[in-house]
Amino acid sequence: MDMPARAAEEPQSRLDRMIPNESELTAGVRIEPGKSYGFFTDTTLCIGCKACEVACKEWNNLPADNIGLTGQSYDNTGALSANSWRHVNFIEKAGACGVRDNTQAPFQSGWLMMSDVCKHCHNAPCLEACPTGALFRTEFDTVVVQQDICNGCGYCVPACPFGVVDLSELDGKAHKCTLCYDRLKGGLEPACAKACPTDSIQFGELEDLQERAEKRVAQLHELGAANAYLYGAPGSPGATGDLGHLNAFFLLTDRPETYNLPPAPTRAANRVAPSLGTGLAAMAGLALAAFAILSGRD
Amino acid sequence: MAFPLLRMQLSGPVAMRTMEGVVTIVQEGRFQLTDDDGVSHLFLLSHRAAVEPDQLPPLQHHQARVRVHYTPARNLIGFVAHSVERSEMPAA
Repeated sequence: MDMPARAAEEPQSRLDRMIPNESELTAGVRIEPGKSYGFFTDTTLCIGCKACEVACKEWNNLPADNIGLTGQSYDNTGALSANSWRHVNFIEKAGACGVRDNTQAPFQSGWLMMSDVCKHCHNAPCLEACPTGALFRTEFDTVVVQQDICNGCGYCVPACPFGVVDLSELDGKAHKCTLCYDRLKGGLEPACAKACPTDSIQFGELEDLQERAEKRVAQLHELGAANAYLYGAPGSPGATGDLGHLNAFFLLTDRPETYNLPPAPTRAANRVAPSLGTGLAAMAGLALAAFAILSGRD
Repeated sequence: MAFPLLRMQLSGPVAMRTMEGVVTIVQEGRFQLTDDDGVSHLFLLSHRAAVEPDQLPPLQHHQARVRVHYTPARNLIGFVAHSVERSEMPAA
C-alpha cells in the first residue's frame, strides 16, 4: 500500500492538537457518515505480534482476561469474549508442510496466524435477534451494542454464526467489537488497524478494500500461493446463508475450519420458518394420534 | 479437595473494599480511576451497581473525585465497582 498523500503534512512527533480527518494520513481514507467501512485482514501478512489485541484493549479500556497459560501454542487470549474484541489465532499446522514435520522446505512456515474480530455482517443475525434494539447499524455500516439499552437477554449470542458476541458475567450485558465507533466519529482509524505493523489489518471503504483484496489474491496466485482465497467478500465462502457480505473479511490460505471459521455460516432467522413448520406439524401429528386413540374407545 | 470450598463457605462473600481517586477514562460501563499515588486502576460497573454507564462520562469531564466500593474480579486484571459516589478532597 502506498503512503497516503497527506502523511507528509505532519512530520512532527509531538502534536499539540487533534489532526482533522487523521484517517487520511494513517489509512488513506476520509471517514464520512453514509459510507460502508470495514476491515480487510490479510492473514498472509500477520506475524502474530498481538499489537491489535493490545491496541483494542487500550482504546476500549478492556481488562486483561484469561490470566495464565492456555497451553494452546502462543495463544493465551483463547477466544473472542466480552473483554477481548480482537483475538490472534495461532495455528500450528500438523501434517504436510506443517511445523510438526521432520523435514520442511526452506523459508516455508507451518504457522498460520489470523487476527479474528466481529465480522459486522451485512445482514447481521445478532442485530436481527436483538429484541430491545440495543444492537443497531451505525451510519458507517457497522454493528454496535448500545450498553444503556442492552438488557442482557443473550439472544444475540447464539444468533451469531461466528461466536463473536459474548455476555459479560460482571455487568450482564452483551459486548463485541464496535469497529471503534467513537474513533470513526472523530475521524480516526480503528485502533487495531492503526497499530498493525504489517498492514495485515487494513481499514477503509468496503468497495476499495474488496478491490484491494482481489488484487492481493491475484498477486499471491502469481507468486505460487494458489491456495489463497477471500472469506466473506461478496460471492466467496463466508458470505453465505443470506448473510450478504462481511464488512470484516479475510484472505485465507487454508480451509475456514482451520481458522475456527464456519465454512458456510447462515442467518439464524432462516431457520425460524422451518422450525415453526416442524413444531406445528408435530403438534398436528400428536393431535391426530390422540384423536385416533380416543375415538377408538367405546 | 473439599477444604477450599469449606473455607470459602466459612469466610462468606468477598469483602467490599474502597478506593478514592479521579475518573480519568470512561468507555461504556468501564472506567479508569487514578488514585492519590498516581496509580491507575480499571473498574467495570457491576450489574447490581446503582450507577448507569451514562453517569460516568460527566465524572470524567469534571475530573471528579469519587469513592468506589468494589470487589476483585475473578480471572481479570480489574475490579468490579458496586457503587461510585462523589467525595471531597482530604484536608492536607
